[in-house]
Amino acid sequence: MMDIGIDGRMDKGATVNVGAVQNDTLRSARFRLEREAHWRQLDELVTRAEKGGAAALGYDEVRNLASGYRQAMNSLSVARDISLDRALIAYLESLCARAYLVVYAPQESLGGLMRRLLSHGIPQAVRRSALPLFIGFLALILGAAAGYRLCANDPSWFYTLVPPEMADQRTPDASTDYLRSTIYGDEGHDSDRLAAFSAFLFSHNTTIVILIFTLGVFVSVPSFILTFYNGLILGAFFAMFYRRGLGYDVFAWLSIHGVTELAAIAIACAGGARLGLAVLLPGARTRKEALRHQAHDAVKLAILAGLMLVAAAFIEGFLRQLIQDPTWRLIIGWGMGVCWVGWLLLAGRESKASREAVR
Amino acid sequence: MNRTDKDGKRVEQFIPPEGVPITFAIASLGTRFGAQFLDIVFTTIIIFICATAIIFTGVLPMTAEAMLMVLLGFLVQIPYYILSELIWNGRTLGKRITGIRVINVDGRRLTPHQVTARNLMKQVEIFAPMGLLASVDTQSAWENGLTSLWLLAVVVVPFTNRRRQRLGDIIAGTLVVDTPRSVLLSDLALSAPAAASTQAEYEFLAEHLDVYGKYELQTLEDVLRDSTKTSNYKEIEQIVRTITRRIRYEDTVKPGRELHFLNEFYRAQREHLESLKLFGTLRENKYHEHSRTEAKKLV
Repeated sequence: MMDIGIDGRMDKGATVNVGAVQNDTLRSARFRLEREAHWRQLDELVTRAEKGGAAALGYDEVRNLASGYRQAMNSLSVARDISLDRALIAYLESLCARAYLVVYAPQESLGGLMRRLLSHGIPQAVRRSALPLFIGFLALILGAAAGYRLCANDPSWFYTLVPPEMADQRTPDASTDYLRSTIYGDEGHDSDRLAAFSAFLFSHNTTIVILIFTLGVFVSVPSFILTFYNGLILGAFFAMFYRRGLGYDVFAWLSIHGVTELAAIAIACAGGARLGLAVLLPGARTRKEALRHQAHDAVKLAILAGLMLVAAAFIEGFLRQLIQDPTWRLIIGWGMGVCWVGWLLLAGRESKASREAVR
Repeated sequence: MNRTDKDGKRVEQFIPPEGVPITFAIASLGTRFGAQFLDIVFTTIIIFICATAIIFTGVLPMTAEAMLMVLLGFLVQIPYYILSELIWNGRTLGKRITGIRVINVDGRRLTPHQVTARNLMKQVEIFAPMGLLASVDTQSAWENGLTSLWLLAVVVVPFTNRRRQRLGDIIAGTLVVDTPRSVLLSDLALSAPAAASTQAEYEFLAEHLDVYGKYELQTLEDVLRDSTKTSNYKEIEQIVRTITRRIRYEDTVKPGRELHFLNEFYRAQREHLESLKLFGTLRENKYHEHSRTEAKKLV
């Protein structure tokens, strides 16, 4: 550092009479001359970190980066007070902004993040949102009950409730044998088409899940209605099969993936409800703040719903056509349900000792 | 907190944990649209590659393949935005190219929660209306009406707030800004003509320097920096005439020495204003006399 300064001075000494210039310069220009080398050094470090991440820097360089950042911040606040050189202040501002972005970058590793989320983030969020979850499941169950009642009394309701592209050829007018064949896949029914159809149903449900969750912001009513409507379709389907004496079979057919998939829908609705409740009943906060606060849990619920959907997709893709026995379908479906509940209720509970320690 | 820059750019005074405010220029909606468009192109390419890979390898059973194809859109799209913004600290590929980034409004580091929240909301703000828009032909009239209402609501939100936040930004508490770039220009008070001569050619008295304020000084700074690149000498002569008339400078400026005069005047004026500022008098512009008498009258 020292000899660089001497070098600069000697260069100038050759051309102009230095003493006069040095003593004569403005206070702000002197301020800049003294610190410019530090800024350039920081600039170079920041540029490298921007290109290759902080991992590109060595141990000492990272330390220099942190101290250089604080020095630059210091210089900026002094420069604002003593200097009227706009170029200097603009440079310092942008340098500080860039250094800030490098110094305050996220430091979590992706693996650690996922582990934390699965081990306690999601289960705790679920346990905190009992009321929204109740609303979500209530919407689904109410919808299913209403759909069932309507179709059990008058099968023509089916056409009103279920969109034709979703029903495929499974309508109250179809023969019992045909309906049975849709439940027990392969025989007499081309399985390719069935696979394509179940894929379609699934994509419909994924879209619904995302819609339900995000529409929650609009005061949670659309979420509730969509979930309710999904329940209606479900109830109508069940009623149609039940009238033909296929109640047990269709229950098993729905269970194997439906326990997971429908729970995902209800959980998405709960997430939406949290956002909606924040807008409706913000409490002591402003609506914006309440929304921001509730979003923490709502996002976790949405991730959970996404995970469950992926799981449901795998069950649907691999197991449903493979396992034809209704008992096994029931066992797998509800077994999955028990696993989900077990995870969500038990994981991430702090032991009594550690809780007391926190207190 | 918010003000508008001289270039018409919205800026945000942002307070990091060190407590010294730094300014970020808020990204324009056009740039953000461009970044989003690029990202959509990239994700589409990735989805296309994955889909062909799945079809041509064909190791999976038929049903699983169909499921995977359905999920592919979501399996690529949602993680793409979240992971890229996590790894590159608030920048997706599209944002990197267009030079914008996401920051946390409250001055802390960007949290994974914020990144996830703002990108989940992207589904409702961008992709869901896009899907509906694609199926305009098959929808009934009121469904189309609903779609346009939805689109309108989503587009209006960023225009209604000064920070240009979309719904997801508001929920997550984030802000999209231009990536700062820094160039250190030379100090005019030290640079070439003025510093090169040992003796000052022009002498400025206190009453000469009492006329102008900070705004005029920095405008002069811009002119001088500009003059090194494009020398429009007519303009310079005009400026010198105006200044000498305004400050009542008696000596005449020799033709050809105008730039020299301006440089020296800049230096003297800056020294004067800076020392005034140091003692607590900040002169914003040439109306400072006027505003001071106004204030006295009020008292």
